[in-house]
Amino acid sequence: MRASEEQLRNWMVGGLNGSAADHATLLGALVPLLQAFYRRRLRDAAEDVEDLVQETLIAVHSRRATYDPDRPFGVWLFAIARYKMIDHFRRQRQSCPIEDVEDILVAEGFEDSCSARMDVDRLLGMLPAKQAVAIRRTQIAGLSISEAATAEGIGESDVKVSVHRGLKALAARVRGER
Amino acid sequence: MDTEALIRELAQDVQPVSPNAVGKRVAAGLLAGAVATVVLIGWWLGFRPDFDLAMRGYSFWIKWIYSGTLAACAVAATLQLARPEPAPLRWLWLLGVPVVALAAIGIYEMAHVPSSDWLAMWLGRSWKQCPWIVLRLSVPIFIGLLWSYRRLAPTRLRLAGAVAGLAAGACAATLYCLHCPEASAIFVLTWYTLGIGLAAAIGALLGPHLLRW
Repeated sequence: MRASEEQLRNWMVGGLNGSAADHATLLGALVPLLQAFYRRRLRDAAEDVEDLVQETLIAVHSRRATYDPDRPFGVWLFAIARYKMIDHFRRQRQSCPIEDVEDILVAEGFEDSCSARMDVDRLLGMLPAKQAVAIRRTQIAGLSISEAATAEGIGESDVKVSVHRGLKALAARVRGER
Repeated sequence: MDTEALIRELAQDVQPVSPNAVGKRVAAGLLAGAVATVVLIGWWLGFRPDFDLAMRGYSFWIKWIYSGTLAACAVAATLQLARPEPAPLRWLWLLGVPVVALAAIGIYEMAHVPSSDWLAMWLGRSWKQCPWIVLRLSVPIFIGLLWSYRRLAPTRLRLAGAVAGLAAGACAATLYCLHCPEASAIFVLTWYTLGIGLAAAIGALLGPHLLRW
């Protein structure tokens, strides 16, 4: 069973007051929480999860003076866990062989870029075709206004107006959706 | 090493932690650095001989309050960033208040002297050295704050470095008043602020390298 925030906090405060038993119980109870935290975020590097859990436990131990008992324990804990994860990525990137970089970038950005692309497709689908094409060409494919105008066989100002109107409509829609 | 064994080992060493340990740690680093800076001023620059006289003049207090309030803001931010949780830092715009106030005083002062004196007021006698002296005097305090951070848990390293540099620069400027004979507000606004800003910029550059844990 997972320990509640309240229990964790009490053990932490016990440890801060010098109780070794409370401190050991706390660290033990953090293990499954941290494992779950890192497993969800490092699906493709499962072998690093245990290292990160241990590093985080050491940090929780050596930097426990920075916990303020008046504040939520979970926020403090996961702030440390997140920092350790970012530090881990940074270190890995420094030492990873150059030919893997592309794979890593693809894997790391894949989920985000997929869902972003789906969102963009869905939103552009709501616009008139002319505006959607103009936005795709100039904002996503990165063509200049004049290149887009030549590709469409229409005037430059026509492209500009389409982009402007389309973006305005999208902004209104996104704001309305929230 | 398996996790169980690690936990057993960590639980061997459970010293009680005093309440407000973060504040005490930062205060210790700051104080040690400040003492070193004062010693440095005494040994390298000397205290101004007319110190008790100067303390009666308003310009001394303006300088002192200016760098003192900047230092207070920066130390408060240093304390916030010493904890890992995301800290609300929107109040840092308050740093602009002493700057704007000093600028207003500077304009007021300039309005009361002939414009031919403005350049002399602005450059004083030591404009070439002043920012560099402030920057050098900030080094011991910056080292003290780095030492404080070593046992704390900053997670935004660049910002933490910048704020520690700002605190070190502003504290150094406050202590530099013990030596500096300049009196005009516009001088302080330009050259003190330049030195303090340089210290903050260097802190921001060094933060991600020196504060990792």
